[in-house]
Amino acid sequence: MANGTWTSRRTRGYQLPLAVLFVLAVALVLIGKAQSTLFDRARAHITDWMQPELAVLHRPFDWVSSGWRNLGDIFRTHEENIQLKAENARLKQWQTYAVSLEARVKRYQLLLKAVPDPALTSVLSHVIGRARRPFLETMILDAGSANGVKPGQAVIDSRGMIGRIFLAGEHTSWVILLTDLNSRIPVVVEPGHASAILAGDNARAPALETLAQGVVVHEGDQVVSSGDGGILPPGLPIGTVVADSGGFRVALLADPSATQDAEIVDFKSPVEMPSAAGAKDLPISAAGLPPAMPQPAPVPGNANAPGAMSAPLASGTASAPVKPPAQMRKPNIAAPPSPDTGPADDQ
Amino acid sequence: MDRSGISIASRAFAGILPVGLALLGAIIANTPLSLTGGIVPGPLLGLMPIYYWGLVRPDLMPPFWAFAAGLLEDVLSMGAPGVWTVSYVVAYALIDRQRDAFAGLSGFGAILGFATVCSLACASAYLVESIYYWRLAPFAPVMSVLAMSIVFYIPAAMFFGTVQRRLVGPLRGDF
Repeated sequence: MANGTWTSRRTRGYQLPLAVLFVLAVALVLIGKAQSTLFDRARAHITDWMQPELAVLHRPFDWVSSGWRNLGDIFRTHEENIQLKAENARLKQWQTYAVSLEARVKRYQLLLKAVPDPALTSVLSHVIGRARRPFLETMILDAGSANGVKPGQAVIDSRGMIGRIFLAGEHTSWVILLTDLNSRIPVVVEPGHASAILAGDNARAPALETLAQGVVVHEGDQVVSSGDGGILPPGLPIGTVVADSGGFRVALLADPSATQDAEIVDFKSPVEMPSAAGAKDLPISAAGLPPAMPQPAPVPGNANAPGAMSAPLASGTASAPVKPPAQMRKPNIAAPPSPDTGPADDQ
Repeated sequence: MDRSGISIASRAFAGILPVGLALLGAIIANTPLSLTGGIVPGPLLGLMPIYYWGLVRPDLMPPFWAFAAGLLEDVLSMGAPGVWTVSYVVAYALIDRQRDAFAGLSGFGAILGFATVCSLACASAYLVESIYYWRLAPFAPVMSVLAMSIVFYIPAAMFFGTVQRRLVGPLRGDF
């Protein structure tokens, strides 16, 4: 009897707070949906505050996790070695072919006076944390807004794209992995240049969605970033197409669970400017009248002067000349492999 | 400090211990470090003290702290805000309504009781997440978190039992 009184007394007392707390929790979801930056700022501060501890603590954790991974590899070393040698021989052929093709493309670009690809800079960073929650897969890097990192920038490792920055603190940044449920990036499938969306669903291989009708995709086709939207640079290697039940998925080249260092690529979409009109292009010349007197040369530093943007574009520095942070350097993924470095050297 | 002073301090410590463990559990579960390289998801460590002391000493685990632990989980997990706050409050509501039934369970039954509450929490989180992004979230990760939480609850319950016997103690009205 006494126990029953005790229970009912408490139960009644908690009914109102529980209802109020439930309403508050639902309100929190709605506020979070409308103003997610409120939470993000707090999260960025927490991670910045934890950065020194994480940088130290992650080492033993990574050591143990890589030990687990390597344990299984020990038994497959011999067959893996044979497989790698065959792959290495094949890749060396491709390397020679790629180098000759690159030289040819450069020649064509010169002949066509094509606008060269924008120069990419990147920030090299170390992975200091990984988190896998039911609805989120992410990693933390030790570079933040102080190093020029901004949300939306692509994160790559030596093999391919890992994900995008979705939250940048001052000294840390969070990466949304390509496999994450909330990851959607525009890609192209080569050869064929078929546009698609790479959609993460927390599976190891993200799905290839929204392929246009009539597009034929084969298993083994290469998937690279398309650059649509101007946030991600085009041509970042992502993975190869694998067939899934009724659809296609992409086997990623990069392995986020093993990555120790990552590059954050700073890409600025090139500003497309029409080429400066020549005297014979003017309607006055077309009408058979004498051309107007040439305009005086633009004052240096005057951005509004005609032709002020065309010169840097032609010289290959399309993006605004921003002084790179100390850690910034050219990403090594876009460069073709040099003949003296290859998988053979790793064995 | 005299004897009464020590007694008050130890009682205050015992009073905040369940809540402290719930918050600590949420922090540990969301620390971005993993021994398995992120292959195995972390269990809901914050929910375990809420369930245990929500049954054993509800006076030390009022619903506000379920809300607070859920909020902490949300902030640290980087996920959609409010998902775990809602699910922890819903789980607490079940504990509160079925306290007599759950409190009477022991051994395998107690684990089954936690599994029920944890399932409700995971189902709520799944539902809120799906509504939040307006598409069905994948089911497998939630199931793996549920499984991990149930497995981890076995040693956790033993630890909580020791803490309850040695530090917190029963409610005076229970004698």
